[in-house]
Amino acid sequence: MSAWSWLKLRVYLWLLGKAVTVTKWVLLVLMLAALWPVTLVAVVGFTAGWARGWPAVRLYRTAAWALPVAAVWLTIVEVLMPGWHQAALIPGRAWNYGLHHPSGAGLLDTYASLVPVAIPAGLALGGLAWAWRTYAMTAGVGGWTASAPISFDSRQWRRQVRTAKVVNKAPGAAPLLTRGDRIPVGGTIRHVGREWHPVFSLPAAACGRHTVVVGATGSGKTNLMIRQWAGWFTAAVQAARAGRGNRPLLIVLDCKGGQDARVKADRTRRLIYGAGARRVAIWPDEARLCLWDLPAPDLAVLLYQMIDTGTGAAAYYADILQAVLDLAVLAPCGPPVNAAAFLDRLEAKWLLHAWGDGRHPAELTRARAAGRHLPDIQLRYATLLGRLGPALDGPGSLAEADAWYCILEGTREPSVAEAQAMALTELAARAATAPDGEPRVMLLAADDYSAVARRVPISNLYERGRSLGIGVQVSAQTWQGLGRDDDERYRIAATADGGVFVLRTAHPEPLTALAGHRRVLDTAHRLIGNIWADEGTTRIQRAAVADPDLVRQLEVGQACYIQGGEATFVQVARPKASPLTLLPAPAEEPVVQVPEPRRAPDPGPPAWPHRPASLDDVFGPRDPR
Amino acid sequence: MNPDPFAALGLPARPDLSNEEVRAAWRSIAAATHPDRPDGGDLARYTAASAAYAQLRTPWARSEAYADLIEQNDIEPNEPDTSPLPPVPADPWPAPVPPWQPLIALAQIPARIRRGRPLRLAIRGAVAAALSLVVLHLHLIAGTAAAPADVFGLAWWFVLTGRKDLAPPPER
Repeated sequence: MSAWSWLKLRVYLWLLGKAVTVTKWVLLVLMLAALWPVTLVAVVGFTAGWARGWPAVRLYRTAAWALPVAAVWLTIVEVLMPGWHQAALIPGRAWNYGLHHPSGAGLLDTYASLVPVAIPAGLALGGLAWAWRTYAMTAGVGGWTASAPISFDSRQWRRQVRTAKVVNKAPGAAPLLTRGDRIPVGGTIRHVGREWHPVFSLPAAACGRHTVVVGATGSGKTNLMIRQWAGWFTAAVQAARAGRGNRPLLIVLDCKGGQDARVKADRTRRLIYGAGARRVAIWPDEARLCLWDLPAPDLAVLLYQMIDTGTGAAAYYADILQAVLDLAVLAPCGPPVNAAAFLDRLEAKWLLHAWGDGRHPAELTRARAAGRHLPDIQLRYATLLGRLGPALDGPGSLAEADAWYCILEGTREPSVAEAQAMALTELAARAATAPDGEPRVMLLAADDYSAVARRVPISNLYERGRSLGIGVQVSAQTWQGLGRDDDERYRIAATADGGVFVLRTAHPEPLTALAGHRRVLDTAHRLIGNIWADEGTTRIQRAAVADPDLVRQLEVGQACYIQGGEATFVQVARPKASPLTLLPAPAEEPVVQVPEPRRAPDPGPPAWPHRPASLDDVFGPRDPR
Repeated sequence: MNPDPFAALGLPARPDLSNEEVRAAWRSIAAATHPDRPDGGDLARYTAASAAYAQLRTPWARSEAYADLIEQNDIEPNEPDTSPLPPVPADPWPAPVPPWQPLIALAQIPARIRRGRPLRLAIRGAVAAALSLVVLHLHLIAGTAAAPADVFGLAWWFVLTGRKDLAPPPER
């Protein structure tokens, strides 16, 4: 074969190949033109998917929802013209009519005649086209430039966010609870490996297990947590009313405190009332609890833990402290009933009297031996209990309310807040296990627990919650705030079987790594000079299911939910109770005037025998009224 | 030193009184007995109450005063007055869901429309109604099987998309 013949053969083969390609495209265009009603719907569906950032499954589902219309149409055809072959002929006739009446009215008539079948078929076709486009761009084989997949992804993210925000604005889109006991969280932005729904929702049971929420201040953590509390409470109340479970008891520990905590408490209370609660107590501002109701052995251990004991040589004194506490709390006459009674017991006279009945010689000996340490121990506990204030001195128990919002001043007084957190978790454990109490389904939520986690590790809270059947939800501002070391942090995050919510945070890698990796196609293109050629290679690579860079860039109110190797990015909807909910009448005011928190020192009595000039000096200016 | 500061303030002798209770008791006595009152007040009682308040104004001081009192009166120290203070009253739990709840839910729809997005819902309804009129009354495809199917389709679309414009039902 001469060089010329070879060249001609190559040219013919190239032309043949191009002719086949062109023919395929022409046939496709002709077919689409012939099926123009379906094509029209497909184009609209494809454009909607592109403009609103929908996944293809959204179009498939819409097509499925349109099938009843096709079924109605077929039924009517069957009634009017029995025989299914008649139905099969109708599209052809309508199309033929449109062909012979190419005016606007004729085309509209044809379209209206075919629309019952054109919509489902067109949406399915549009979904397929959109799925192919998404696949091509994700795999790197679509687009005109090498950077097209990157710009496609960021553009689609923006559109998905916008769509999710629109979804959240609809009043009925994200109520506190939906059918099937699911808690709607907000509009879905993007999902990886999870079934897509326009509104992302969690099963209420997930909140009854262990969940972790990590997000920086101002990232929307509070909204997310309040939504989950209200949803869980609503589901539990409805289950209790239907006889499917026990009454709920929600205990929230707001470990940061401050004025913000009061605002959050008020919001939470209104929502929980809207969900059907009859009493929501805010501790310590409006209600008290009684630490002294704990069983004596637990009380002794708790009182010991509440005092910060040293190590090394100080361990000797820690042992003495523990021995004295055992003597004071486990005395034969029963445990102390309040702080004052407890402090009274830390005196040699009392201990000798209590154990001096002749039946406890060993304890009596220990009481004598501890005598010289008692004033120090009494002073330490007097100081601690004085700082804790009356809010743990009773009366009151967790059973008296449906929800407790406990505010701990972890920022202002960390050591006091730590002691309070210990006491409250102990009371919660007691409420869960008390044999004489009403069984309750419980959720213990600790917001910003890192503020008090120095002496009460979260892992301890988790393990106790698991053993007692209490759902535990813990939030922290950072990965580091979850625990003292990586071992503890991983233990907490990895055992969060209810899922992990990650909001905007600076170091999300350890949490996003929990979602694992997925297979993606990585396409490399050949460059000819500076031009991106249409040749290259594709290979399977692994990419993170939850992209940490995406998490790092989340805006306020956006969260990534990680569970079971899947990730969902969601725009959290602000929780609101239904406007139709009738709030219960305010509960009767308690008889006892509970004190305000100790924010300011108590005013001292008037100096005496100095005689004040008038009553105003004692009580302040007169009321102008 | 007042032998019984609790009595001077008219309070029960117990160590678990709160600061507010003690302060409220002192204020009420002081307001009634202050020497600057037009009627001259009751200086002795005012003095006793002020001294008692000074003695009882902190939990620690109340505990001390209580301990002194039981020593004076020879009361068993491990038997203080521990009768519980009146508890916070618990409301009764609401009644279970009645079997006619679906009817109630139906009756709530007007309220859900009002408290949702009625304007959007009205626009949706107007669009669906207008297109139905076009199909049925302008003889576009009148008399064919597609006409009722199209109207059904428009109603179906209205129901499916309009749900989100309703306010959620109560307690959801």
